[in-house]
Amino acid sequence: MFREICRVLENAPVAPGHYALTLRSGRIARNARPGQFLQILCADSSDPLLPRPFSFLDAEHDRVSFLYHVVGKGTQLLSQVRPGEDLRVTGPLGHGFSCGTRRVVDRRFTSFALVGGGVGIPPLHHLAKTLVAPGSGVRPEAVHVFVGARERSLLLCEKEFKRLEVKLHVATDDGSKGHKGYVTEVLDEFLSKAHPLRTRVYACGPTPMLRAANGVCARRGVECEVSVEVPMACGFGACIGCAIKVKDTSAGAAPDAYRYALACQEGPVFKGGDLAWE
Amino acid sequence: MGVNLETRIGKLKLKNPVLTASGTFGHAKEFEKFIDLSRLGGIVTKTITVKPRLGNPPPRIVETPSGMLNAIGLQNPGVDKFVEEKLPYFRKIGVPVIVSAMGYTIEELVHVVRTVEKAGGIDGFELNLSCPNVSYGQKGKDTQVKMFAHDDAMIEAAVSAVRKVTKRTLLAKLGPDVSDIGRMAQAAERAGADGVSLINTFGAMAIDVRTRRPVLGNKTGGLSGPCIRPIAVRLTWEAARRVKIPVVGIGGIVTANDALEFLIAGASAVQVGTANFGNPAAPIEVLEGLARFLESEKIPRLTDLVGSLRA
Repeated sequence: MFREICRVLENAPVAPGHYALTLRSGRIARNARPGQFLQILCADSSDPLLPRPFSFLDAEHDRVSFLYHVVGKGTQLLSQVRPGEDLRVTGPLGHGFSCGTRRVVDRRFTSFALVGGGVGIPPLHHLAKTLVAPGSGVRPEAVHVFVGARERSLLLCEKEFKRLEVKLHVATDDGSKGHKGYVTEVLDEFLSKAHPLRTRVYACGPTPMLRAANGVCARRGVECEVSVEVPMACGFGACIGCAIKVKDTSAGAAPDAYRYALACQEGPVFKGGDLAWE
Repeated sequence: MGVNLETRIGKLKLKNPVLTASGTFGHAKEFEKFIDLSRLGGIVTKTITVKPRLGNPPPRIVETPSGMLNAIGLQNPGVDKFVEEKLPYFRKIGVPVIVSAMGYTIEELVHVVRTVEKAGGIDGFELNLSCPNVSYGQKGKDTQVKMFAHDDAMIEAAVSAVRKVTKRTLLAKLGPDVSDIGRMAQAAERAGADGVSLINTFGAMAIDVRTRRPVLGNKTGGLSGPCIRPIAVRLTWEAARRVKIPVVGIGGIVTANDALEFLIAGASAVQVGTANFGNPAAPIEVLEGLARFLESEKIPRLTDLVGSLRA
């Protein structure tokens, strides 16, 4: 975990309301794991006061990139930052997907299903790229990526996934591309033909999608990891703000007992079965 | 540097006036990668209660203009686990450690202080009489006082009870949602507090207009950050005029200039809080800025500045 002032290399729109940001930092790029995030201060002011957390889209050589949606004042200001300017960042933070380090992938699994919606899609690109990295032993055809969006222009990272030569499955709410309906329906169809013990699912996106993905996996008996999005202040365990309800599995705990885990430290990636879904 | 930054709260000598505020500095360990903790004037721990607390349901935080609301709900491991697991690290840092204690009753408050007192190796206590995110004394909804800090008699009773079980430096942390902060500070002084720290967060609320629901899981929360600073400075000034014991100023301090306002208004020390979230080096930057200010203004001692308001 580092605090740095990073040079902005690129910051340009890639889809309606969505921007891709590239920062220079060798240290952060070397240490960033899929599913981890960086806290970025969007402005040197007291409003917005807090940094915003962004999961990595990619991390390579001396650069890290992110894909963000302009949703509020922070991201609005961020979208106006120009290449050559500097941003204050902290990271990489949190606990990412359990894909192992670059070269170590769990051999139990022969197929990987990555399911994402909205700005939950970009971190899956980082994950897919890591899974199929040279030497990992995972062939691109073993990696299935399921992306969902309201309509086709919001299907993020399509190009990037194609470049990795992974299998891409698409769903849109309006049917403008791929399956008309939820991406989790496509996932369910896929899992019905997959080997449950040799398949691992990774999900990142809005909570309803994560809940649905977790439900599908539970029914099919497949292991699932989900990356949650929770309001966060510090990102490194000091504010105790990013609480998420998880099952309390400590000795002697009641079956429905729960506790609050910090998404910034224990997460943002959790085992689907560990969360106390509501 | 040729300036003297030392200050005092009761018997406790601080090498500089910059402390970290309770609930904004985790258990200090979270910051060791960012700053040299031994440079701090002191550390106030996250509030500890008798029993472990799960904390409030999420969402627990929301950002507001130049500030944030939080309703963490005092998530903490309970005093026994704190003593066992967290305290050893604090002791090793080598700066004064002030344990923030809270109870739903005076008996509980005393229990927390007594337990930590027995463990030893700390420098003082700050009684959190003013957390806006939990309910105190549940009995009888109509007569319920929302927190100790809302009632001078309760402040006096709580501080007196704790005073009997510790000789260490004792601070009473006051809340802002009162009509006369001076009266509350005087109650703490009468009861034997070595100082008052103020101000805790303001009771506040944010609403999602589409769902018409409160944004926070706890419905209301505590407002902190730069947006409360001018009110906190005023409250510090009012309290400092009414008591002889030191005041520790808290509220939206981000820079040395902010800290100077509190010191000039009458605070003997300050706590940096919400700023730690966006900039974990904020307390050190405040400290360095204070030293630079004293030097450039040719003020030899920090204490020369305390309460030096020309009004």
